[in-house]
Amino acid sequence: MENKDFVQHNCDHYKGHRFNDLTHRKYAGGADVCIVGAGAAGGVLAYELSRAGLKVVVIEAGPFWNPQTDFASDELSMSKLAWQETRLVAGSDPLHLGHNITGRGVGGGTVHFTGVFFRFHESDFKVRTLDGAADDWPITYQDLEPYYDKIERDIAVSGPRHFPWGAFNGPYPYPVYEPIGANSQLFRKGCEKLGIKSTVAPLAILTAPFEGRPPCINRGFCNQGCMPNAKFSTLIHHIPKAIQLGAEVLSDCTVTKIEVDRYGKVTGVLFNNQGQEYRQQARVVVVSAFVVETPRLLFNSACPQYPDGLANSSGMVGKCIMPHSSPDVYMMYPDEVRLYKGTPVQAVTQDFWETDKDRGFIRGYSLNAHGARPVAMAGGLAGKAGIWGKKLRDIMLDYNFYARVTVVGEVLPNPANSVTLSNEKDEYGLPRALVTFSYGENDNKIIAHGVSKCQEILEAAGCIDPIIVDDTAHLMGGCRMGNDPKTSVVNSFCQSHDISNLYICDASVFVTSGGGNPTETVMAIAARTSDYIIDQASKGG
Amino acid sequence: MVGHYPDYNVMNLADEWDSHTKEIVKRRLGPFPGKQYLNEHEARTIWIIATHLAYDNREDILDYVVHHIDSELASEVGESQRKAGIPKGQDLIRSGLRALDNLSLKVYQKDFADAETGRQFSMLESLQKGEVMDMPGWPKPLQKELFKKVLNTIVRAYYSHPQVWSEIGYGGPAYPRGYIRVELGLTEPWEAKRNGK
Repeated sequence: MENKDFVQHNCDHYKGHRFNDLTHRKYAGGADVCIVGAGAAGGVLAYELSRAGLKVVVIEAGPFWNPQTDFASDELSMSKLAWQETRLVAGSDPLHLGHNITGRGVGGGTVHFTGVFFRFHESDFKVRTLDGAADDWPITYQDLEPYYDKIERDIAVSGPRHFPWGAFNGPYPYPVYEPIGANSQLFRKGCEKLGIKSTVAPLAILTAPFEGRPPCINRGFCNQGCMPNAKFSTLIHHIPKAIQLGAEVLSDCTVTKIEVDRYGKVTGVLFNNQGQEYRQQARVVVVSAFVVETPRLLFNSACPQYPDGLANSSGMVGKCIMPHSSPDVYMMYPDEVRLYKGTPVQAVTQDFWETDKDRGFIRGYSLNAHGARPVAMAGGLAGKAGIWGKKLRDIMLDYNFYARVTVVGEVLPNPANSVTLSNEKDEYGLPRALVTFSYGENDNKIIAHGVSKCQEILEAAGCIDPIIVDDTAHLMGGCRMGNDPKTSVVNSFCQSHDISNLYICDASVFVTSGGGNPTETVMAIAARTSDYIIDQASKGG
Repeated sequence: MVGHYPDYNVMNLADEWDSHTKEIVKRRLGPFPGKQYLNEHEARTIWIIATHLAYDNREDILDYVVHHIDSELASEVGESQRKAGIPKGQDLIRSGLRALDNLSLKVYQKDFADAETGRQFSMLESLQKGEVMDMPGWPKPLQKELFKKVLNTIVRAYYSHPQVWSEIGYGGPAYPRGYIRVELGLTEPWEAKRNGK
């Protein structure tokens, strides 16, 4: 059978084959590497490891989407791209999860992210040294730099010729996204008046053809899944390539347990498809299931040798989770802005990313000019700002006149912010995650500063009447990397300190959250981890 | 007709949309199948609540809103997140509607849906603040969660109705054609235009 389209609703996919059942599995007898989760990290790992000739199985809880028939230009129905399974939330600032943080299905969050593609700055890796708070990463910017370069080239990131902040100042592989829409024009105009540097955003969105994919058509539904395939996702880039290179992808399959032998090494995983349990054996297991499900799976895999969950001798599994604070500032402009046109984020500033002691807090934030569609805007105004009735209706009748800027604010790690297991069970009888989060003092100062800066910028551009909607975005931490096995879960190559053939590679290994969108850093870390696993395999490790 | 765009109807553009999107949006215009979760009284109560929260009483739009809420409550898809200690969405809404009726009966001797409009409004206002006095078993945080859940669900459905899209001048689905004219002051020939502009 010739495989013409990898993107199908079958549960077993490998080169030349796709099946509706699990009776023809390619690696039923065992694989070199089993990756749990086909998102930003899992996709990169699958591609790199297959390319090196390793036998790779990727197991993904959600479906193998077909953008043409599964995606739609519609907000409400595309909520299905998020991980909607219920998690319990607690703390003084309980998190909104779902679409705010994560995806479900092949491609994971990359299917519905905005495509904003930032590198972290050098300072992000040494916050303890520079600011006396949080912790240093066991790696530096320089360790990741070649991987940032590689990822940007691999997926043809578009961006400005000159990027004014951080260690990398461009140019990007593909031409800058242009023209920018009205909202981003207003943002840049406001920045210019105030002497704030701004640029067009670096984006994982094509501005010219690449590998048979067309450039962006400004459809604007990046968060609902890109239908023309102009926006990168691991669904349409890394995973199909990995399959071509020999990987097997099992979709609609939920991993319920990582298995351990009597020597304390992992032997593979158990997973469920249509109510039936299956086993996948592998010499190495990589968990890339994101910040909530990764710790949950490690906890749910507890066994007599590891009663507190796998890789958890430090007690740090699930600890120090960090969202980004992400308040939105809406302001009215005298003319139409039409927030629905083009990719949501087209212009940014990182002028406030680094610590500036004069501001009375450490670390900082990015500001993204940020489009919005009716459901997201009205949903935020209602659900988060508590606006309803006539007031909401009046604001929304002026929908086309609103501009919006979003803060992406760093949140410092705090062990009290955590993923643990609740007493409630899911459909597999496994405890649901309990996600606890409260902002700290520094986090709140960043939010206040960021919100007032958004207002200043839009005001300078001629806007009035700010409406502020508190929100968060992204999620990082929970299995942080470090050199000391007593205070961290994995080493600098994402290998767990406790179990040498168990890796954790996704946003959960972040030590700090940085002041900007994290996907590129997740992917760079995954590429670096891939090199290490390949190197270890060649040594028979 | 309200809003800046009396001459704009997003459904006139539907032939330009991909078939999957078109099918999804057209279904919102009805007719709707029978209720799967809500009984008639509950559906009517949500309908009335929606008139206040969305500030609209047009039947075709509110019928869709109630239909959407009913199918969401009947579905096994998760809630993304739920505060620890708060009942499941289905139970929260069902028991919440009952509690609102009991409150209304006690204070105004009528079910919520039959109470006078101003009284319905003020009951909802107090619920949002968690300040309803006569709701036994409903402490402040639970009242607030109930209000939030109902508000969020209603608003998300309401702003998914194409008639509302037309009123606010939203371009709606835009695949396969996309946009060429994105800068300040530029519009595609088919986008919503203000009266006389």
